Amino acid sequence: MNDFDYRSPRSLDEALAILGEYGEDARVVAGGTALVTMMRQRLVQPRCLVSLRDVQGLGRIEANGGLRLGALVTHRDAEVSPLVQERIPVLAETFRRVATVRIRHMATIGGALAHGDPNQDPPVTLLALGATVNIRSARAAREVPLTEFFRDYYETALEPGELVTAVTVPAPPARSGAAFLKFLPRTADDYATVAAAAIVTLERDGVRCREARIALGSVGVTPLRATSAEALLGGQPLGESLLQAAGEAAKTAVDPLTDHRGSAAYKREMTAVMVGRVLGQAWEAARRSAQARP
Amino acid sequence: MTFTQECVIPVDRERLWDFMMEVPRVASCVPGVEAVEAVDSGAYRGSLKVQVGPIRLALEGTITVEERDRNAWRARMRAEANDRRLGGGIRARLGLTLAPGESGTRLRIDTDLAILGKIGEFGQPVIKKKADAILAEFARNLQTALAV
Amino acid sequence: MIRLTVNGTVHELEVPAYRTLLDCLRYDLGLTGSKEGCGVGVCGACTVLLDGKMISSCIALAGFADGRSVTTVEGLAQDERLHPVQQAFVDAGGFQCGICTPGQVVSAKALLDANPNPTEAEIKEWMVGNLCRCTGYYKIVESIRSAAQRSRA
Repeated sequence: MNDFDYRSPRSLDEALAILGEYGEDARVVAGGTALVTMMRQRLVQPRCLVSLRDVQGLGRIEANGGLRLGALVTHRDAEVSPLVQERIPVLAETFRRVATVRIRHMATIGGALAHGDPNQDPPVTLLALGATVNIRSARAAREVPLTEFFRDYYETALEPGELVTAVTVPAPPARSGAAFLKFLPRTADDYATVAAAAIVTLERDGVRCREARIALGSVGVTPLRATSAEALLGGQPLGESLLQAAGEAAKTAVDPLTDHRGSAAYKREMTAVMVGRVLGQAWEAARRSAQARP
Repeated sequence: MTFTQECVIPVDRERLWDFMMEVPRVASCVPGVEAVEAVDSGAYRGSLKVQVGPIRLALEGTITVEERDRNAWRARMRAEANDRRLGGGIRARLGLTLAPGESGTRLRIDTDLAILGKIGEFGQPVIKKKADAILAEFARNLQTALAV
Repeated sequence: MIRLTVNGTVHELEVPAYRTLLDCLRYDLGLTGSKEGCGVGVCGACTVLLDGKMISSCIALAGFADGRSVTTVEGLAQDERLHPVQQAFVDAGGFQCGICTPGQVVSAKALLDANPNPTEAEIKEWMVGNLCRCTGYYKIVESIRSAAQRSRA
């Protein structure tokens, strides 16, 4: 690794001030699982590393109707949190699928979002759930819907000098069910070959779909929503042919890269399969929810 | 890795060819290229900056025109560049073909790219996406330059 | 300058910012039990406990441990007595070449601290990130089950 200045601010304002001081030569580090790995490979060589470890106030999980997860909440925190497990269990399950416990003890949700790797799992579920990213700069605060947050491979809507401070997840509506599927045929702790998350909300009749959201990971340069597949589902009752049609439609939304986890063609085919399955699971969960609380 | 890219430039073939054979001028249309200068006839030295998120490549090297055939509207170039900080580099063979296209000239670039060292380990798939983005901007810059 | 507690002993060290926790343990403190297998946090040979939580020390900066407490494999035995997990690995034959063993043992200890009575599935899920090229993993799982049984006895 290159040598660098290492700063350990104790407050968000202090961290933002240091970022302003160094400009593009500084990088923020939280758990370091992505950044330190890249620095060890000399792919990234910042002049200054701003550690957020001691910054107060960013590590909380709060319920507010939905959930608000501070940027420094680790994957492990979110995975085992009773609040997350009770209110949005699909999110806890998603965090649980990431890598290993070692990584999850260090890697933070804010760092994961800022890293912008389309192969990560939590952004997929967060995208389906309609999450919003809370961002601070030295001068201002803003919110960006996750649907607009990811721009390209490793590129997000974060401007220089900005930090993710939290991610806000709305409570799933009544008569909703959600599911997350991570398809990784080779090893258990890798990134997905294809990842899919779906949330289905049913009409009052508990049969027809009011709204569905489908998000996909590892099949493009960003995590993405399969909007053309979603459009097929509104007003429809569940059926095998509908799930298949949605899966086929999802194939048009993806542009996978060939790598050691699969060829682009294979990932495209598996997108259809995983979308069909995750939709089926989410629909079942929605039906149970509608029966329990119509 | 090999890949083929195509774009249509709304200029006639002769004009595009003449422009493209002036390597420093056409190189300046490639986003991220800095300071191209002739070393000797047919060979040029320059640098290319490419960014993928937080990863910044600073490639320095040479590009050599190996063959130009105006009758067949084909040219071949060879590029070698290294990023000394990262300890990696690229070796590329480029085949350029100009064909008449709808409202202009269809430029086709066949690339045979070897990525060496750290850059190659990082993400070959990402390189292709980046190359597409670079070509798209290159085509836009080319149009602007030729519209003058 | 960082100040960290390693296996119960406080150390003050002058280390460059780029020093990883693993290198700090091995070279600055002479604790060579933790190994560098992959260098990217995947294989588990570098596993240590940071404030009781298992992490990959090869991708942690030494500065991350400033003011904190680290446990390495060297810190498990008490005087001359092996930790029950270590003893179980010896008795059940849970290692061959030994290169992954410190990481396996530290991870297993962390598991049993968090979950004293794990099922086989829970053991495998927790230990998924500790790779072994020699044993085929059967004896490692047996060693951990044995350690759990003994601790309950």
